[in-house]
Amino acid sequence: MTTLTEIETPVEEATPGRPPARYGLLALTLAIVVGLVLGYLAGLLTPHLTRPGDDSPEAGFARDMSTHHAQAVEMGLIAYRASDNPKVRQIAIDIATNQQGEIGMMQAWLRRWKLDPTGAQPAMAWMPNGRDMVKDGLMPGMATPEEMDRLRQARGKDGDILFAEMMIKHHIGGIHMVDAILAHTDDEEVREAARRMKETQQTEINILRQLLDEVKAS
Amino acid sequence: MSTSGANPSGGRRPGATKAKGKGRKPITPVKVNQGRAWGPIALFTAVGMLAVAIIGYGAYAVIQGTKSWEERADAIPGIINVRKLDPEHLQYERHQPGKIEYTKYLPPVGGTHNDAWQNCMGDVYDAPIANEHAVHSLEHGAVWITYRPDLPKDQVEKLAERVRGKEKMMMSPYEGLDAPISLQAWGYQLKVDNADDERIDEFIKALRVNASIEGPNALCSSGVTATGTTPQDNVAGHSELMPSSSSAAD
Repeated sequence: MTTLTEIETPVEEATPGRPPARYGLLALTLAIVVGLVLGYLAGLLTPHLTRPGDDSPEAGFARDMSTHHAQAVEMGLIAYRASDNPKVRQIAIDIATNQQGEIGMMQAWLRRWKLDPTGAQPAMAWMPNGRDMVKDGLMPGMATPEEMDRLRQARGKDGDILFAEMMIKHHIGGIHMVDAILAHTDDEEVREAARRMKETQQTEINILRQLLDEVKAS
Repeated sequence: MSTSGANPSGGRRPGATKAKGKGRKPITPVKVNQGRAWGPIALFTAVGMLAVAIIGYGAYAVIQGTKSWEERADAIPGIINVRKLDPEHLQYERHQPGKIEYTKYLPPVGGTHNDAWQNCMGDVYDAPIANEHAVHSLEHGAVWITYRPDLPKDQVEKLAERVRGKEKMMMSPYEGLDAPISLQAWGYQLKVDNADDERIDEFIKALRVNASIEGPNALCSSGVTATGTTPQDNVAGHSELMPSSSSAAD
């Protein structure tokens, strides 16, 4: 017992002479400078690292919905040119211009995220079981080349009915994709746009259904 | 008495002298041991290296990720960049109606063209199409895949899988092609021997839409959907009011 206390005393005596104060100051300065530099670099990099990546649901949605929209634009412009029903022409040009505008918005997202309009993944890979929903390159609701040919050549009442039916089917498929992105992103800008798409397309489905009844009855 | 007096003195004394002898000598070794605190140094070094590695990887990823599409296109082995090699070839004053001779690059990759563009909504044409319309599609950001008519069916199918359903893509056979497969975007061309060549996907990823002269909103629909190498008038939807197969006759 006593021997231990007597050994410890000299050790304590040696301690105060150890770290010269100027080294401490230097280390502190260095730590602050390194900390600032790291913080600055992290600040520079964070927006790049946190933006959606090439395989993200957001990028997949922007690309695939651009493709999906592009066909709605095509159908709308065909009906706008070919129909002689003012109500059909009205909704056709509304859908075509609105969806073309949304394509521009989604393409601008991709540019801001520094991503290509073309992904490395197949269509719909961002959606759970999404790849199984693609048939011959066509996403849910999309018309086949044969159906598009039929729409191009249809005239009068037949053309109006075909347009309304194809666009209703197209919008239902689109809403399905919108629901998927709403379940998989917390990017507020993407969510806001997706919600708007869903509301617009649901309203348009109602209008088209009513129009379809009118045309069929005429 | 004697035991009580001898015991404490006998017990303490040796102990005291021993303690003195032991207590003075260790002073020097203990001082030496305190020269460096290796534990914290190792810890800070490890944390510092980890931080530098994370930042470094992030910087690398960002630099790689922000390579422009032009840089990535130029990095594809065998690609011809006419925008750099021959920019005058791509310049034109106005649209030109009717037949146009394209001779320098075949299939053509740019230059003047008709008013009407070829529909490029993922259209897989089973017969040759008019250069005059196809070049206009390239201007709108389409990638045009062409193949020699004798390309085996399974190879054609592999190409078609990359086209179907995808806007700003189209494909057609091309008579007299000097390679089995040739890909065109505005100002770019890549010729490959095999549909499994991964450069095909690199070309499409880098150039589809990106190579558009009019930006991502340029249309691929409302174009000519008929095949045939004779150009036709599609102004104001004229040909769309006719059956799509009948309009090539001039």
